Amino acid sequence: MNFSSKLLEEAVNAFASLPGIGKKTALRLVLHLCKGELENSETFANAILNMRRGIKSCSKCHNLSDEEVCVICRDQRREQGVICVVESIRDVMAIEDTGQFRGVYHVLGGVISPLEGVGPGELNIDSLVQRIQTGEVREIIMAISPTIEGETTIFFISKKLRDLPVQISTIARGVSFGGELEYADELTLGRSITARVPYRNVD
Amino acid sequence: MPQDQFLLMLALQRLTLTNFKNYASQSLEFSPRLNCLAGNNGMGKTNLLDAIYYLCMTKSHFNLPDTAIIRHNEGFLRLEGHFLRQEKKEKIVAKIQARKLKELERNGVAYEKLSEHIGLLPVVFIGPDDNALITEGSEDRRRFLDNTLCQVDQQYMNELILYNKVLQQRNALLKSLADNPSADSSLLDIYDDQLIDPAIYIVEQRVTFLQRFSAIFQSMHHYITQRQEEVSLVYQSQLLENDLGTLLAQNRQRDLYLQRTSAGIHKDDLVFNLGEHALKKFGSQGQLKSFLLALKLAQYEMLRQHKGLHPILLLDDLFDKLDEQRVTHLLKLLSEGEFGQIFITDTHQTRTELIAKQLGVEYQQFVVKDGVIG
Repeated sequence: MNFSSKLLEEAVNAFASLPGIGKKTALRLVLHLCKGELENSETFANAILNMRRGIKSCSKCHNLSDEEVCVICRDQRREQGVICVVESIRDVMAIEDTGQFRGVYHVLGGVISPLEGVGPGELNIDSLVQRIQTGEVREIIMAISPTIEGETTIFFISKKLRDLPVQISTIARGVSFGGELEYADELTLGRSITARVPYRNVD
Repeated sequence: MPQDQFLLMLALQRLTLTNFKNYASQSLEFSPRLNCLAGNNGMGKTNLLDAIYYLCMTKSHFNLPDTAIIRHNEGFLRLEGHFLRQEKKEKIVAKIQARKLKELERNGVAYEKLSEHIGLLPVVFIGPDDNALITEGSEDRRRFLDNTLCQVDQQYMNELILYNKVLQQRNALLKSLADNPSADSSLLDIYDDQLIDPAIYIVEQRVTFLQRFSAIFQSMHHYITQRQEEVSLVYQSQLLENDLGTLLAQNRQRDLYLQRTSAGIHKDDLVFNLGEHALKKFGSQGQLKSFLLALKLAQYEMLRQHKGLHPILLLDDLFDKLDEQRVTHLLKLLSEGEFGQIFITDTHQTRTELIAKQLGVEYQQFVVKDGVIG
């Protein structure tokens, strides 16, 4: 791509360094900013700068936060005794969107995979163990992807917590809601049968 | 002939190759019975068989990476096969592009996992490189075993994939522990535990499979040689005597030193015996050939019994490596009707024609010249 302006080129390269954005999309975004008011670009740039300078990792759960402790951890209406363990911040958002969970979170920052250079030491596992040792935690819910690496991580954490009086559960795996049985893959369907749940009649 | 003949039917009716190995663009119609591909060496006969194998097994028979089977100086390849399977049409398309994930479609729908395709179209490849089963290390023999088992048992394949992934992680951990000895080694316990369940399943299946397979293999061998030579297959696994948990614990220090996992089903082997001796050391060239052929025909028979389908049989350069007597026996076996669609390559055009006539079955002859088929 040939640029008439060095400034333009730098801006395009900056946008194109973001995930999911190629050179052409980057150019479109930059040209859009060029055409608009200077003020718009300033607001845009400031939003990024302020976010990056001000954002913190919650000291309790490692979720992103404006303060030392995030809004979810500070919320006294939430059950502090139930911790949902997730891989990433996006998972927190996904579970929050369900509106089904009223406990607090713990963000691991990934799953154990020595192949990718991620060992237990790279994840927020020690701080989870500490939280459980010191706090009044009744239950932890492992909401981790059912991949091999996910299983390893769950297995590892539950071994660490073996001697602590906390109940460990994992999210249910099986046929998706509104899904049809014949389209579920064999592994999922097989697991759903083995891990079947008692049917609760509506009173 | 057992059951309804149509239910046993599996045949490739039409194949279109684009940029596959030395083929630029080629479309072919095949006979449901016998197809003879004649041509000189280096013209692309084997490549055509490999294309058929690819559509059945989602990879090249020769263990080539996908980028290596794209025609020289081209950016993509496409294979399209129209199969008839139990009276139903199956259109399978494979697409490979440089730097992109390969895609495999069945009747226009892309597979989410390529492994789901394995077993739909059973196939057996008999070629000169089968020698590696005897001469090379245990990996080739395990691959032969796994190739057959994966085609008949989807769960076996899933457990094998699981085992291999955990094994990779365990080995990566062993490497990182060597660089950083103070790191947490308790993660090794977790991987040890995760290896156990798939290993138990795989060993059980290998044992049961080989019991049935040995019997078929022996009868095939007797048929080919017309002699009552004593041949046997012996399955060797550390797991037959010890459980994997114990083995991994015993080898922990060694593994840390070697930076890889030294015990497990990835060390299993299959020992070929002729009488009381090892075939590798004491077998004559002729004995090796008969042994290999019997092994592959037993694989064919095993797949046929499990699938209720006649696998596609790919015979590469068979008549160059077998003597006349063995060829005659094989032909007799083939003509007795227990086989489905067959592809044969040969350098002699007249010989293949003669074979086809001897068999007395419907056949189609193709002449391959420089990646073009007439």
